[in-house]
Amino acid sequence: MAKSSRARLSRLFAAAAVAATLSTSCAWADPNVLVSGDPLPASLDPHQLYDVTMQTYMLNTYDTLYRYEGNPPVLQPWLAESSEVSSDGLKWRFKLRSGVTFHDGSPMTADDVVYSFRRVLSLGKAPAGALKPILKPDNVTAPDAMTVQLQIDKPYAPLLSTMPIVAIVNSRLLQSHTVNDDWGTAWLASQEAGSGSYSLDTANYVPQERLDMRRFDKHFLGWAENPAAPKEVRFRPTKETSTRVLALLNHSIDETDGYLPTDQVERIEKADGVRVEKNVSMALFLIRMNNSKPPFNNLDFRKCLSYAFNYTGFNRDILKNFAARDPTPMPVNLWGYPKDIKGYEYDLTTARSHCDKARAAGVAMDRELEIHVPAQLEQTTQAAQLFQSDLATLGLKTRIVTEPWAQLTGSTAKAEGSPDLWVHWVSTYFVDPENWIGQMYDSQFAGTWKASSWYKSDKVDGLLRKAREVTDQAQRQQLYEDATRQIVDDAVDIWINNTVELRGVSSRLQGFRYSPVGGGTEMRWVHLKD
Amino acid sequence: MLTFALRRVGMVVPSLFGLLVLTFVLIHAMPSDPATVLAGDNATPAQIQEIRQKFGLDRSLPVQFLAYLDRAVRLDFGESAYSHRPVAQDILLRLPATLELVFVSLVVAAAIGVPLGTIAATRHNQLPDFVVRITTVMATAVATFWLAIMLQLLFAMDLHWLPLRGRFGDDIALPAPVTRFLLIDSLLALRWDAFVDAVRHLVLPVLALSLGSIASIARFTRAGMLDALQRDFVTYGRAVGIARWRLIWIYVLRNGISATVTQIGLLFGSLIAGGVVVEAIFDWPGIGGYAVSSIVSADESAVLAVTLVIGLIYSVVNIVVDIVLGLVDPRVREKG
Repeated sequence: MAKSSRARLSRLFAAAAVAATLSTSCAWADPNVLVSGDPLPASLDPHQLYDVTMQTYMLNTYDTLYRYEGNPPVLQPWLAESSEVSSDGLKWRFKLRSGVTFHDGSPMTADDVVYSFRRVLSLGKAPAGALKPILKPDNVTAPDAMTVQLQIDKPYAPLLSTMPIVAIVNSRLLQSHTVNDDWGTAWLASQEAGSGSYSLDTANYVPQERLDMRRFDKHFLGWAENPAAPKEVRFRPTKETSTRVLALLNHSIDETDGYLPTDQVERIEKADGVRVEKNVSMALFLIRMNNSKPPFNNLDFRKCLSYAFNYTGFNRDILKNFAARDPTPMPVNLWGYPKDIKGYEYDLTTARSHCDKARAAGVAMDRELEIHVPAQLEQTTQAAQLFQSDLATLGLKTRIVTEPWAQLTGSTAKAEGSPDLWVHWVSTYFVDPENWIGQMYDSQFAGTWKASSWYKSDKVDGLLRKAREVTDQAQRQQLYEDATRQIVDDAVDIWINNTVELRGVSSRLQGFRYSPVGGGTEMRWVHLKD
Repeated sequence: MLTFALRRVGMVVPSLFGLLVLTFVLIHAMPSDPATVLAGDNATPAQIQEIRQKFGLDRSLPVQFLAYLDRAVRLDFGESAYSHRPVAQDILLRLPATLELVFVSLVVAAAIGVPLGTIAATRHNQLPDFVVRITTVMATAVATFWLAIMLQLLFAMDLHWLPLRGRFGDDIALPAPVTRFLLIDSLLALRWDAFVDAVRHLVLPVLALSLGSIASIARFTRAGMLDALQRDFVTYGRAVGIARWRLIWIYVLRNGISATVTQIGLLFGSLIAGGVVVEAIFDWPGIGGYAVSSIVSADESAVLAVTLVIGLIYSVVNIVVDIVLGLVDPRVREKG
């Protein structure tokens, strides 16, 4: 071996020896780098995926015409300066903000907005859900370089509240990566084409494992309001709760995800240098009943079950009060929620009397009822077990069935395949009653998992459809309140609570702003204290 | 030897076809709707129907299977409903991490298990034998997830010696991906810092994953060696004065290790399955987490492809094991 090679190898071994003796590094050492343990979206294309995991990524790397800020969320103009709607409610015009640039430096124009809406509608995936029934791709046009027009098929009052769903993408960049008319889907699944406050470091991106974002200094909003916002954000998602909490405690990450189990809250609160952020969300936790199947097609039987759930026991003892009791299908902090409503309380005597009435009416209750719960979501199993024990005291046989989420939602495509009962959350995708009772109880949505109660009421259908069409806010509020009262009277489902989001964060993380829309975090508002 | 190897290879094709048919049938026996999954959470019934037609999910099952088979032989596994990326790309990204973890665990298990079993057999019913027997029973009984968390608490949280999670550190630049096995790629790039970092990240997952295998290999080796030690050639060897270490570590071991080699091949499969838990706890970016996500999200293309790829690797490993067995023991070759 040549002398120079030996010397080189010696140096390498020496470096290795030094590296081996280093203890584990502490991510908190760098005041400009925030490390998040939030899960990453399966795909980075915001037009293909619209779920809770997408929210934080999309809020930071993309801009939208309007954006929700605060809790309760308030809709604010973002890329749009203003909007106007024609008197018949069919023509919406958005005046765009000038001086917005994408991460590659090119200016944002109305063509990009038109392309983005058409892409969402043409792909037809989850983000198109709210718009596709009322808007055709060709009816999105640009009268001039800074104006966008949406010509919808029928009046749709919640339209403005759905605007934060559509991320505005750089049309020229995507068109240059389009293969076989795929709208650039293959490319955008692992790349980014936005104008948001942070840009993706594509070279370092490993799907579902690591994602780094760098502050975009030329963002249209500027950084005067929070000049200390982190220069870099690293996402290092952890799959296991115990590992996630350990990573926070050993200062590897600055925040966990927002689904901290209640038993971990005390552990974090006792530790130094970390705290728990607690925020009431708008997510609704409920037990669905398949109203089309006997014995659930009997009102007294449904009321029997509504009185048989131990709401206080679940919220107070199991969730340690990290939940706000919600006796309706509407979030308690949203307009359209009837403030005077009582709902159902835990009362086994009343429950038994309703079951007796149902039995007297000839309802057969002998068969074993199935309570389906999504796999890997412990809270749903806890609710099912608590319910099972109370139903047993009423003489009702039940069986808990655990299934993957996709299998559960897939089974709700038909009334006969939908579970007798199933436990789940309805998350916030846009802040309008339409996101909850509109899509849950209007019978036109039957066949989707959100409408899996298979409830059919001409009165409620009429109220919800009218509320979708009228633009007067006071009138809409009254319609939704009336619809909510009727749905509660009909005991369609068992509504339990609005979840409190629990997120472990480092004490150096300041300025955290919670958004109940998907629980996303905008990093432009936070800073890291030295 | 060549005929022997070819015969083993020939058996793989029908096995994989059977595996694919079985998986396809099982996936479609579930009451989930792939169109609903592809459409996403907020899709309307009209959107779901549109996607069902677009992806041919409204066709009969045999037609769908033939179409899938046609694509699979061209290594086109379709698009993942979960990640919206080509499944082949997703698998290529994650498989090396799992294989690296499993291979290193197997090597560690064999390197510790075989000597332990040999020592126990040669000290039959003496203290070393008792120690090995008791510790291997204990090691087999330990739950992998519990051990993994205990290792994290001790070595990452209390002692701060090793990383808590992940495959490599944040402050280390990755070596250029050649094989995507970090150990190999860092050596190829002469990046010792990356090599050491990769080793440090491997230690805890490998310990958690290999403990059961160490016990299993030690017990198989002990049993095989005890049997071989009773044979006449051992008495003969002693009589002609062959050195004890040579007799045991060369002649007896070669005769007594057949069952252990077979067991190592079988362990490969159980390590991939057991790796799912270890990967989840240590955030190891392998195929295990991807497989679980695919099943949970009813991602048909991904489930089929993962099953096929793991089946193929398992078959290849067992062919290699058979060939090694044939080399170690010529009687295996003769029997075919």
